Amino acid sequence: MDFTANYDMFLTAEHDILRRTVRDFAEKEVAPHIRAWDRSGAALDGPETRQHILPVLKRMGALGLLGICLPARLGGAGMDYLALAVVCEELERVDSFLRVVMSVHTGLNSLTLFQWGSEEQQQKYLVPQAKGEQLAAYCLTEPNSGTDAGAMLSTARRDGDSYILNGEKTWISLADVADNFLVFAKTDPSKGNRGISCFIVERSMPGFSSHPIHGKLGVRAGNTGSVVLQDVRVPAANRVGEEGEGFKIAMAALDNGRYTVAAGATGLIQASLEASLRYARERQTFGVPIAEHQLVKRMISHMVRKLDTSRLLVYRAGWMKNQGRRNTRETTLAKWHATVNSFEAADDAIQIHGAYGYSDEYPVERYLRNARGAIIYEGTRELQELLQADFALGNRENRPLRRELPAYDPEAWT
Amino acid sequence: MHIVVCMKQVPRDNSVKINADLTINADGIEQIMNLFDEYAVEEALQWNEKLGGKVTVLSIGPDDWKEQVRRALAMGATDSLLLSDPAFAALDVLGAARVAAAAIKKLGDVDLVLCGRNSTDDESAAFAPALARLLGWPQLTYVGKIPALEAGKIVAERHLEEVIETVEASLPAVASVIKGINEPRYPSLLRIRKVAKVEIPAWSAADLGLTSADLAPVLNLAGRVPPPPRPKGEMIDGASAAEKAARLVDKLMEAQVI
Repeated sequence: MDFTANYDMFLTAEHDILRRTVRDFAEKEVAPHIRAWDRSGAALDGPETRQHILPVLKRMGALGLLGICLPARLGGAGMDYLALAVVCEELERVDSFLRVVMSVHTGLNSLTLFQWGSEEQQQKYLVPQAKGEQLAAYCLTEPNSGTDAGAMLSTARRDGDSYILNGEKTWISLADVADNFLVFAKTDPSKGNRGISCFIVERSMPGFSSHPIHGKLGVRAGNTGSVVLQDVRVPAANRVGEEGEGFKIAMAALDNGRYTVAAGATGLIQASLEASLRYARERQTFGVPIAEHQLVKRMISHMVRKLDTSRLLVYRAGWMKNQGRRNTRETTLAKWHATVNSFEAADDAIQIHGAYGYSDEYPVERYLRNARGAIIYEGTRELQELLQADFALGNRENRPLRRELPAYDPEAWT
Repeated sequence: MHIVVCMKQVPRDNSVKINADLTINADGIEQIMNLFDEYAVEEALQWNEKLGGKVTVLSIGPDDWKEQVRRALAMGATDSLLLSDPAFAALDVLGAARVAAAAIKKLGDVDLVLCGRNSTDDESAAFAPALARLLGWPQLTYVGKIPALEAGKIVAERHLEEVIETVEASLPAVASVIKGINEPRYPSLLRIRKVAKVEIPAWSAADLGLTSADLAPVLNLAGRVPPPPRPKGEMIDGASAAEKAARLVDKLMEAQVI
């Protein structure tokens, strides 16, 4: 059956054509190679030399996916935030590394420039990023600070018309392939979260270097690495927002990044379900297809529940983004729910496949490995749980931001 | 140059069920543009980019086929036309060709009609020839390459089982294309937005001046069953590749295949 049907309260015919297009791309141009690409990540040692990564990203750029939810005047495809979710679902339905690109390039970096960037910054960086001519990443995490971002050690010291950046960032998706990086660093280390500022750093700036992380559990087809900044001189014009506003910008960016992660996880649930349906109809035990066994049916029914609830939560958050409403709570809930459920769905998919599911002859073990990371990155499961409780208890509220993510405007964006 | 592409919507896979009245039940199966028609759309777009003019994507079907028509528009077709009427629900291939022929005549200024080689659901491959016959135009089937297209003339390679035939015909003409003639593009995301609100014109049987006699099927479907499962293959054992090959040759000779 078509698991994406009957979402007309959120989606239009445009989204359906988009879904079909992204699905065709992922199935034709990525799926035939994904097992080899995933294996290549397990074998990677030394610098990132794999040849498949850049061409795929360039292809996504040429198709318009990288600027999907940005106005045409900024080089985007002029579609809405729900379109971003559809793209993420369909990409991660084939492999998470494709969706990760949408998360960091589009969700975390480009939408941050859209929300907070100056006109000059948008023209110089956002436009080529939206067109896919330049690739972008987001650097918040450090070797000694993840969830506790305020504990970061990177610094940015003002020097005339520039800042001098020093520090190390790690677990950076596209570290070795991106052109532009949003880097968070402390302009005033005495002020904690309020001493953080945000900068656009180019790979070509002297003192910038990167190297890949080896031996990842999942998302092996894609590039993840560390970025080292050694006395990197960044023009003051590349500071995004005001001095000391970096923490707010980083958190607002996560409202968009987490949204893409949640949508992607929904696609991964669908992939687990579809693989399970195929296998359960083919595989026979005790004289019948295993789809006729009740405990297999239970796993399938739970996958369906997880798929639909995740998708509904994602689309609610996307609908709110379209309206220009703050969606931190809703996006966080979607991210928590969808990622935890995607891991469980992949786990059940392996169970349905039995021993075959334990090798990469079938894709489901890859789904499980890929799903695990999203329970950690862009806000751990535990952080999301605390956020939900604090919202419910009234301990937390969304304070207005100096600049909010622009609402979708179908006329002005086309 | 005005190129019309005839496009059909089909179920994505062949896991359809057959209803008691022998109609196909594709409930819950995603509907897509017929694979071969996608090549026809792409071929039309490539020539349109060189020659200018119009590409009209034409489809016979109910309102919900508009999504595939929009997909063709998002790929780059300049115009669209849906032939839609409850009376078109049970057309056979000749009836469908009559409907399309009436529309193409009504359009008037058509230079070339491109179709897919066949649809992946009915697989009759008779639509394009029937259409050419009804229009009285040359028909070029199994076209794998169009080396030249200009005012009044088309040169096409027909990729047949054992030979490639290069033929020339005067325009207007009808051509059916095969897989691999080109690499169909994806719809442009910018165009998806632009074509979302385009009004797709719809013509009914009355608009086309067709009567129920024109539409009555001449083919009667006597039965429809799923194809039998593929028979099991035979594995040939042997100590070495050479031994296996020798046994294979023996078997093939035994079966008088070689």
